[in-house]
Amino acid sequence: MKLRIVGVAVLCIILMLNVICTQYMVHQYYYENYINTLIFGGLNIFLFPTAIYVYKKTINAKA
Amino acid sequence: MPSDKNNKIPFNEDNYTHNIERNNERKLDRRGFMKTLVGAAGAFAVSSLPWGAVAAKELMGLGDKEYPHQKITDISDIPVGEAVEFTFPGEHDDALLVRLAENKYVAYQNACTHLRCPVFWKKEQGELLCPCHHGKFDVETGVPFAGPPRRPLPEIQLKVENGAVYAVRVKRYEA
Repeated sequence: MKLRIVGVAVLCIILMLNVICTQYMVHQYYYENYINTLIFGGLNIFLFPTAIYVYKKTINAKA
Repeated sequence: MPSDKNNKIPFNEDNYTHNIERNNERKLDRRGFMKTLVGAAGAFAVSSLPWGAVAAKELMGLGDKEYPHQKITDISDIPVGEAVEFTFPGEHDDALLVRLAENKYVAYQNACTHLRCPVFWKKEQGELLCPCHHGKFDVETGVPFAGPPRRPLPEIQLKVENGAVYAVRVKRYEA
């Protein structure tokens, strides 16, 4: 039963990180710290394959 | 709709979807929700691409941009304590020049750093005010001191020459 929730929880965390990274990315852009913008943008892009991985990993999780 | 099921226990359970009460209820299960989450992560990833592109463009040498000097106004047209609006460096970058003293001028790009509403000069209070959410900026430095904005207004460097005020460049933030 608990295993069912793990995937959803991890994906929710990933989405939260997405929100945080996007926020930092936009703010750092306006602060003209362009390297930080690139770092957070990269993190944002990296989180997408992670989300797919988590989704596929939990697809056969026992109920 | 009142049901008489409750009065007949056990009621006649002749279909296996009796517990579906809404259209597409099976599409809103856990796995569908997870797909939505993954899709949202993808949307975030795609939406960060243009930011990365413009940031990379800025990093590639456009560092301290020099614009053609632009005349804002004649000194005789702007009394002490008054402000004049202009655009710098592009025609869509609204800016505000304030004459604080006889020989003291400040200018900022006046898109509020919260949600880009125009910021106005309030002569009576001596502060720059964004009317949208009452963000207030210090006129000497452009630093916000009230309301939602957290980032200073971008300052425009000025030059006074031949009885007129010129905009020279947009000051960069000190990291």
